Amino acid sequence: MRRLYLRIYLAVLASLAVFALAAGLLWRQFADTGIVRPATEIAAVLAQNALPPPQAPLAAQQAALERLSAGLRADVTLFGADGTPQAWVGDPLPPPAAERHESGWLRRHAGPPAWGLRLADGRWLVAGMPLTRRHPAWGLFYTLAILALGVGVGAYPVVRRLTRRLENLQAGVESLGAGDFAARVKVEGGDEVARLAESFNRAAARIEQLLAAHKALLANASHELRTPLTRIRMALELMKEGAEPRRKAQLEQDIAELDALIDEILLASRLDAVQAREADEEVDLLALAAEECARYEGAELHGEPVALHGDPRLLRRLIRNLLENAARHGAPPVEVRVRRGARGAEISVCDRGPGVPQEDRERVFEPFFRRAGGKERAGAGLGLALVRQIARRHGGDAHCLPREGGGSSFVVELA
Amino acid sequence: MAARILLIEDDPSLAEMVSEYLGQAGFRVSAAGSGNEGLERLAREPFDALVLDLTLPDLDGLEVCRRLRARADTPVLMLTARGDAMDRVVGLELGADDYLPKPFEPRELLARLRAILRRRSGPETGDVLRFGRVEIDRGARALRLDGAERALTGYQFALLLALAENAGRVMSREALMDRLKGEPLEAFDRSIDVHVSRIRQALEDDPKHPRRILTVRGAGYVFAKAQD
Repeated sequence: MRRLYLRIYLAVLASLAVFALAAGLLWRQFADTGIVRPATEIAAVLAQNALPPPQAPLAAQQAALERLSAGLRADVTLFGADGTPQAWVGDPLPPPAAERHESGWLRRHAGPPAWGLRLADGRWLVAGMPLTRRHPAWGLFYTLAILALGVGVGAYPVVRRLTRRLENLQAGVESLGAGDFAARVKVEGGDEVARLAESFNRAAARIEQLLAAHKALLANASHELRTPLTRIRMALELMKEGAEPRRKAQLEQDIAELDALIDEILLASRLDAVQAREADEEVDLLALAAEECARYEGAELHGEPVALHGDPRLLRRLIRNLLENAARHGAPPVEVRVRRGARGAEISVCDRGPGVPQEDRERVFEPFFRRAGGKERAGAGLGLALVRQIARRHGGDAHCLPREGGGSSFVVELA
Repeated sequence: MAARILLIEDDPSLAEMVSEYLGQAGFRVSAAGSGNEGLERLAREPFDALVLDLTLPDLDGLEVCRRLRARADTPVLMLTARGDAMDRVVGLELGADDYLPKPFEPRELLARLRAILRRRSGPETGDVLRFGRVEIDRGARALRLDGAERALTGYQFALLLALAENAGRVMSREALMDRLKGEPLEAFDRSIDVHVSRIRQALEDDPKHPRRILTVRGAGYVFAKAQD
């Protein structure tokens, strides 16, 4: 059973049932020994004193019984110690069982219940109860059942209210988990649930504040890092004849590389911080791949038009990073293929470079991964890590596979 | 007469270098170090264009742009850190004429500044598609690259428009033919491929390595959404 309120409620109902049963049994036990027995003993003595002795003639017995039961709207029968009826008023009643030695309710298979009073001399005075249709013990049981039902019905809204607050809290936690950092829950009452709600709200506010600070830091870091880069770029331009063209070109490339790295670090950081997609529109993946392939010499594009919903900037970045990786670490011809995949779209970028050894095929997606013994000046940087981050954000994943005939094949599935 | 430019940039060293660079290119540049100072200068003196940094110590660039737009339509070139698509959208919506991410190529700053000045002085029909340095004027049925008109036949312009209006989407030859059904045919009924090659001659910096109209083998053509 999954719903908490049902579990609590059923526990309440089960406790009530056990209580009612135990109360009934105890009452019966206690009533027989504690309340009814002394009264029965008194009644037995009074009845014996009011009746003639057993050896008196039957007519005297009958007269005494009629006198005794006048005004008692019940059938009454007097049995001798041997169980034979000696006198009766109304309909004659059956005798108590031979092995029975105690006064009390008699077990009957049919007709109204009967009460048997055993006199000290061994005779039985049995009275039928035509006014009561059931054994009185059932009355108690019904009373307890009605009480339990009343408490059960009354407990339902209390249990439901308590668990509804817990459910609200759960919904709040789920919203926060899904990326809605403005999610808060209503604080009701002053109990533990209310305190838990307050704690959740405080934690959510703190997370929201931290994220806002993180975002502000990202926004400022981008500006603060790029302004000096712009200064260097500007100064380089103003140097004019003073700079050697080869050195100047190298410096320009360094600035571009540094700028790209800042871009990747900030993007990776933003993807970590903001879980929701910032843009979601229909993207023609083949067209996007065509635009990016045009930037690289020797990149061949094949495939079919595939439209999917996603963030066009991130998907462009994904394709660009794959092509950049092929250009940097692979060798031409670079083949790009776009097709409909099992889950949505699939894009693969294959090269004829040295390939990636089996043990590194997962690790190339780690940030700043550098292959052991790699001679390249630049490591993988964040390029492939971003590819995987972006693919996962679009409900897919990225893999590195060996290519038949040599080289590697980077396959990205997108949902 | 030299165009007067106001540069609002809080980094004094960068402001000085940009002023010097633009000065060498023939502009008269004044610099302001904060949003408020810039707005005061704009209220006092006439400027032909504004180069505005997005991140400023007092008012941010978007706010300066909004306040300026309330009273004047001076062209604005916004400088911002790269990567914030939101800034670009909001910046252009608030009336910035163009946007340039830092660190920019100084020559690109010059080209964009000239482009927004030309746009303001030239006959603006308001029905122009812009992709970086390319302008496709639907009103005048003209193609311009860096402001200079490039010759196309009527059919070729219609083909270019069909591609550009669907920028970022692969258009099959059949879809293009379909879009061009109403256009009067040329003297020779050439294939789409021949027309595309002619448009590339007019449009591309290097027609052998096209960056604007791309061929997707077996599927058709794409007009690149992201250019320059």
